[in-house]
Order: sequence, then C-alpha cells, then structure tokens
Amino acid sequence: MTRALRLAGSVLAVSAVIALYRYLPVNSTTVALSLLLVILFVSARWGLAEAVVASVVATVGLDYYFLPPVGTFTLDPESWVALLAFLATAFTASKLSASARSRAAEADARRTEIERLYALVQAMMLTGGSSKTMREFVHRVVREFGSTAAAFYYRATEEVVRSGAESAVAGDHDLRVAAELDGVRIDSGRGLALAPVRLGSRPLGSLAMIAPLPSAQTIQAIADLVALTIEKARALEEAGHAEAARQSEAFRSAMLDALAHDIKTPLTAIKAAVTSLLGTAPETERELLSIIHESADRLNRMAAEVIAMARVEAGKLHLETRPFPVGELLDSVLSELAPRLSGRPVSARVAEGLPAALADPELIRQAVKQLVENAANYSPPGSAIALSAEAKSAKILIRVADRGPGIQENERILIFDKFFRGRRHRYDTKGTGMGLAIAKGIVDAHGERIWVESEQGQGAVFSFTLPVSPEVRQP
Amino acid sequence: MSQGKILVVDDDPQIRRVMRATLVSHGYEVTEARDGQAALEVIGREPPNLVLLDMNMPGMGGLDTCRALRTASDVPVIILTVRESEKDKVAALDAGADDYVTKPFGIEELLARIRAALRRSAASPDAGPRSFSCPGLEIDFETRRVSAQGRDVRLTPKEFDLLRHLVAHAGKPVAHRELLQAVWGPDYGDEPEYLRVFVNQVRKKIEPNPARPQYLVTEPWVGYRFVAPAK
Repeated sequence: MTRALRLAGSVLAVSAVIALYRYLPVNSTTVALSLLLVILFVSARWGLAEAVVASVVATVGLDYYFLPPVGTFTLDPESWVALLAFLATAFTASKLSASARSRAAEADARRTEIERLYALVQAMMLTGGSSKTMREFVHRVVREFGSTAAAFYYRATEEVVRSGAESAVAGDHDLRVAAELDGVRIDSGRGLALAPVRLGSRPLGSLAMIAPLPSAQTIQAIADLVALTIEKARALEEAGHAEAARQSEAFRSAMLDALAHDIKTPLTAIKAAVTSLLGTAPETERELLSIIHESADRLNRMAAEVIAMARVEAGKLHLETRPFPVGELLDSVLSELAPRLSGRPVSARVAEGLPAALADPELIRQAVKQLVENAANYSPPGSAIALSAEAKSAKILIRVADRGPGIQENERILIFDKFFRGRRHRYDTKGTGMGLAIAKGIVDAHGERIWVESEQGQGAVFSFTLPVSPEVRQP
Repeated sequence: MSQGKILVVDDDPQIRRVMRATLVSHGYEVTEARDGQAALEVIGREPPNLVLLDMNMPGMGGLDTCRALRTASDVPVIILTVRESEKDKVAALDAGADDYVTKPFGIEELLARIRAALRRSAASPDAGPRSFSCPGLEIDFETRRVSAQGRDVRLTPKEFDLLRHLVAHAGKPVAHRELLQAVWGPDYGDEPEYLRVFVNQVRKKIEPNPARPQYLVTEPWVGYRFVAPAK
C-alpha cells in the first residue's frame, strides 16, 4: 500500500468515528477514547506519519463537533490535552510496532539464509577434486544467496575462481588483502563483502560477495563452509594420489621382477652350458670357455645392479627392519664373494660384545657387498681388504678399507654419484659405476650416513652407520 | 648305471635342453615337464628320485607345485629361482623344498646340491642305536618312522635327518654350521634360514605346542638342541 493511500485511510477512519458519534447520544470523553483507539491502530499498523495526521484530524473534529461550544473551532485547553494524548500514543505505538516489525523481518531473513546455507551444504557434500569444488562452490553461493557475484581466492595455488556478473566482482588485490583480515568486512558503499577463509588458524584464502548480501554471520558461515569443503576435497585428492603412487610403485616393482627373470633365464642356460663344458674341455678350449663364463657372470652382476639401482632410485625402498648380528652378515658377504677375493688377505674384525643392528639385513648385506666389490675393483690384486664393525656414539659403525691408490679429494663427494668413475679409472671396465650409488641409496633409506676417507696412496675407507637394536639378544 | 631319475620342471625350453644334456652326461636319467600341472602328472606316472623345480612359471608356479606334490610324496625337491632374497628362500623351503639354488648357477654347484639331496644322512643306521624313545616321541631309525604323542607323523628325508642328528647329540647344543653340514653336506654352512624353516616344520609335526617347543629348543645365536623331557 502506498503512503498516500495509507494517509487517506487514516483520515477516513478518524472521520468515520466522528461522523458515527454525531448521531449517537455519547459524551465527548467516549468520543475522545474511541479516537485514541483509532490512532493507536493507525500508528501500530501503518507508522508514525499516518498517526500524526490522524491525531491532527481527530483533534480538529473533537473540538468542532463535540467540545462546547459545539459547532465552533475554538482550540481551548481541552483540545490541546487531547492532541497531546493522541500524539503521545502515536509516537509510542509506532515505535513499538516498528521494532516488532523489524524483528520479524530479521527473523524471516535469517530463516531464509539458514535455508540457503543448508542447501549449499547439501550441494557441496558430493563434489570432485578441489579445483572443481571451488568453482562449484562460488557458483552455488551466487545461486543460493542471489548475490550479483562471488569470488574465492585459494592461497595455496594463487587461484581465483569467480561466478556471476563479470564486471561486478572484487579485484584480485581485494581478495589477497582479505585473506589477512580478522573477520568479515562489509563495504556498503561498493556493496562488497570480504571474508577471510580459515581452517582453525590456518589461512586458506578469502571469499568475496557482491550485494545483495546476507548477514555478516552468514557470510562467516559460508567462509567456514568453503574452508571445510576445500580441505575435504584436497584430503581426498591426496589420498587418491597416494593410492596411485602406491599402485605405480607396485607396478614398477613387478616390472623389475619380470625384467630380472627375463634377463637371468637365458643367462642361466649360458652359464649352465658353459660350466658343463668347462668340466670336460681340453686345455686349448678352456681359455675361451672361461671368457664366456666370466662374461656371463659379469652380465648377471650388471643386470642385478641395474635392477637394484632402479629400486633404490624409486626412492621408496621397502625396509623390513629387524635386529641382526653384524658379524654374521660380514662373514656371509665375504664367503659369498670368496671367488672374487681369492689371493687377497681379507679380514672381518667385529668388536667384542657388539650389539645387534636394527635395519633391513637383506639390503645392508647388499650395501656391504657393493662396498667390498668396489674395494676389489679399485685396488691391486693381492692387496688386503679389511672389514670392521664397532660401536660408536650409540651407532654401529661398519668400515670397508682397501689398500688401493685412494681417492683424490675433489672426487670424494662425487664418488657416490651414479656412473661416476674416478679420473684414473675412467677407462676401466670392471664395475657398472652404480655400486656406490646403490650402497648410498640403501644407507640413506635407513636414515643413516655413508662417507669415505682417503689418503692419497694410502687406500680408501668407506664407512657407514647403523642404528643399534634395543634388544640385546635374539628372541 | 643310472645315478637316479631327475625331473626337470621349467617353462624355458633352453634351460630344459641344457639340463638334460648336462645331467645325462653325468649319469642321471632325465624327464621333463614345462609347468606344474605337467610335473604332477609325470610324478604320478614315473616317480623321479629328485625334482628340479623352477619357481617362476606361468600357471601353477613352483611354490604351488611343491606344496601339491608334498601332499603325496617325500621326493627331494630343489627349487631353482632368479630371486635371491632371504624371504624368497624361506618361502621356497616353507613350501616343502629341500634346497634352493639361485639362477644363474654353475653346473658344479647344481651337481653338488643334487648329490647332497640324494644322499641320505652320513650317520649310518648301524653306527648308533636303532631306535629312540622318550615321553611323547618314538623314532625308529631303520624304518625312518616317527610317532609323536601316539600319532604317526611323516617327515621328509631332510626333516628326518635333521631330527636324527639332533637326537644323536641330545642335550648338547648343535651349531648351525655343523647341523647344516651334517644334514645337507659339506658344501653348506651359510644357510641358517634353512634350519629356521626345517626346525619349524619338524616342530609342527612333533611338538604338542610348536610355539613353545619342548623337544627342539633354540640356542640363541648358536644353534639348536634336542631335549628329552624327564619321564
């Protein structure tokens, strides 16, 4: 209803009461009380302006028709008292009813906002990756809350997603600044609301909305909801990545196993055949058969090293740690490599009462084997190789020492790199250049340290550490 | 004269060829099978004295084949495989194999393993008592029969030899190396995992509670000891 209509209505209502009482036998007090009721009604229903107009009309009517001298307009004190009473009623009632009305409207708006938030929550329950979730979210905010536009800034990726009217959206700068705010900031001049998006105390980004806006509390709730939704999507994505990585790891491992099998099968036939021939061959042919035999062995070692390197490089060696006695491990490596170490004085010295090591014995065995083979490859035939194990600063220290030419200082860091060969040995063909890299990969995977010490001409000592097992005796 | 009949099970024809040529030249008879299923058929038809079994075969793999043939036969089995981790060795022995050779191998090594597997324990039955008994356990060394808690149990030849050696030294700890050499032969000594698996298998067959053995006791870091419970 327009204001003009309401004003006309108020005048009409007052006039109707006055007209009615002119023909009824009542005194002026009754008329005044009835008019007061009408003004109360107008004031509560329509507002103050209408009630003031009604009060003036009622005072004039009361004075003219009911207060003596009837039929004249005198504005005596009684009329002033009536006018004051009318106006006071109008003010009080209009004020009370205006506040009641605004509370009802506010409650209505809140209810709508909560319904919209609920719709938003439901819509965000099932979403895909975090990027898609962000786009979906701003789109939903615009749709559910009827804002002109909305934008979300995701700090981790510096990504800004927008929805709604292009021209209306807040700038990137506003969004970056908003991520640092303490709470919702509403710029009524621009019709812009900015809210930081946080999960706990961790800032994730910010949210912007363009008027019409819901209440600040609701904007805060939307910001909290976006934080939860994005984090959920990101956690799901990460779990997915981890699963994919695990599967590709399993696949790589299966591929390496298949490769090892495929290379070793023909090597088995070659080696079995040639060793069989070697047993009965005449002296003249033995030299050539020995070459085939040794080459098959070398090919086998190289295949094993390539596969070991690939496993180490995958960066996720699966450790099966358990306590094991280091002395036995050193002895078994030396006995396995005995054919390659023949003619050398070889020793393994283990400190008395050395506690068990806690590591993956299979892999440590391989690391020690690589170090011993390296020592054998790069020191003169017949020179000594000495292994030792001792306890040092709460660790077990394992050393492999040779009496070779030693390693030049500038090469000591590079020596653990894959395919690196010392300058002197560049044209030797004994190793694959991967042995030390494999040993380092294995020791690194245990979180331990491997290093080399060398005096020019005095040989080299490779050392690495292992954790001590808390158990003293094997179960 | 034939030294024995060997069944070679491998999916690779070149390996079967080289095995046949080599083993025949060393006096063995050779039969072949290209997978586990065929191997079980051949064993049923003409039982071999020894089986060389490839671990990695399409279809029925070496481990499954080994378990399947163990349900009906005590024939010595040597598993051949490209894998060399201790876990794989233990898996092979657990499946019932007597020995394990890593590919590629020299033929002399394989022949030594074959001889060891075919050989019965050096301690001849004439050298010691013919039988042994203690509460809950009876062993007849001549017929190689064992009964535990009143039930007959079947031990494979290596399991029986292991038990016999420990019983012959009852009460004393026997070192890993000594036990390996007594049961498998002089070329052995660095395979403590063999003992872990075989001792566990014998425990499962003769101990009332294999988790708390009363006959076969572990001597940590040293070896094993047979204990005859007091009557």
